[in-house]
Amino acid sequence: MKARLVVAIAAAALAAGCAKETTRYGDARSVETITNQFGSTDLQMMAESMARSMQQAPVIASANLPIVTVQEVRNKTSEYIDTRAITDSIRSELQKGGRVRFAVDQAGMNPQVEELKRQQSELYAKDQRAEMGQMVGAQYRLEGNIISIVKQVRDTKDVYYKLNLQLWNIRNGLLEWSDEKEIRKTTTKG
Amino acid sequence: MTRTLLIPAVLSMALAAGCSTKKGFEKPGFAFGCPIGEAKVSSMDDLVRTKVLAEGRRTTIQATEMRCSHSGDLLRIDANLNNDSKAVKRISYKFRWIDREGMRAWEEEPWKPVMLYENSNLVINTISPTNKAADFRLILRSEE
Repeated sequence: MKARLVVAIAAAALAAGCAKETTRYGDARSVETITNQFGSTDLQMMAESMARSMQQAPVIASANLPIVTVQEVRNKTSEYIDTRAITDSIRSELQKGGRVRFAVDQAGMNPQVEELKRQQSELYAKDQRAEMGQMVGAQYRLEGNIISIVKQVRDTKDVYYKLNLQLWNIRNGLLEWSDEKEIRKTTTKG
Repeated sequence: MTRTLLIPAVLSMALAAGCSTKKGFEKPGFAFGCPIGEAKVSSMDDLVRTKVLAEGRRTTIQATEMRCSHSGDLLRIDANLNNDSKAVKRISYKFRWIDREGMRAWEEEPWKPVMLYENSNLVINTISPTNKAADFRLILRSEE
């Protein structure tokens, strides 16, 4: 009986040892093809392609640091995509390139106003606090859509994504730049 | 008489200067519009060898042509990739941007996957992300 218990404990320990979990760091910029859902490679490719295209737009290339505000990229796909992550990446690339300035957007407006109001308190030195009424309005607004077309037959699933971005002139309502990035991914089982 | 001989002579000299090789019009330190620094580049093959690197899994896809131009203060690049095999090939590529001091001018780009049909060419193009980028390398790897 005792011998059986020892064998059982040894087998359990061995099984636990076999299910060893390993964690390793990888390349955040490598091609990710684990599933055909929207992934990091799609996000990075779309953001890079759009930022590079936008910085060639005449209103960006020829103007002296135009001011842009980022509006919504509507997710018209059948899956959850954090479209804010796409526009954040585009904004970072353009900002680092030093060609565009960004004005606070709708999502950032509340914290901005709250901070402005907070600085009006008597707690802050008068000569150092941010004055009300000094915020700068954007000249252009960036918005867009992402769509997907998904087709599945037996063991094959095809996903097509298209991101379309537009840069609108806020003063006159003209479309100053627009571009698209397409991605196709096909998964086959077996 | 002297004058009539002089005019055709001057014209032929001007024509000869105009017809000199395309390279004659390049700025020093550039070949096919691409920055080459001190490298000796006398043909397209030399330029491709200077600019294209392989990292990770090797691919049979070859860069065969590369041309550059300036768009304002940014560098535009067109590179022709050739798949001369009888099979579809999948590779990924990225550009590495280098500043005038030979340092990285931009963070490492994401690998971009592309598919090349059998016996086909694909032109990939890009523009430098910043005017600090004075030179570049095209890096290829197999995704097979």
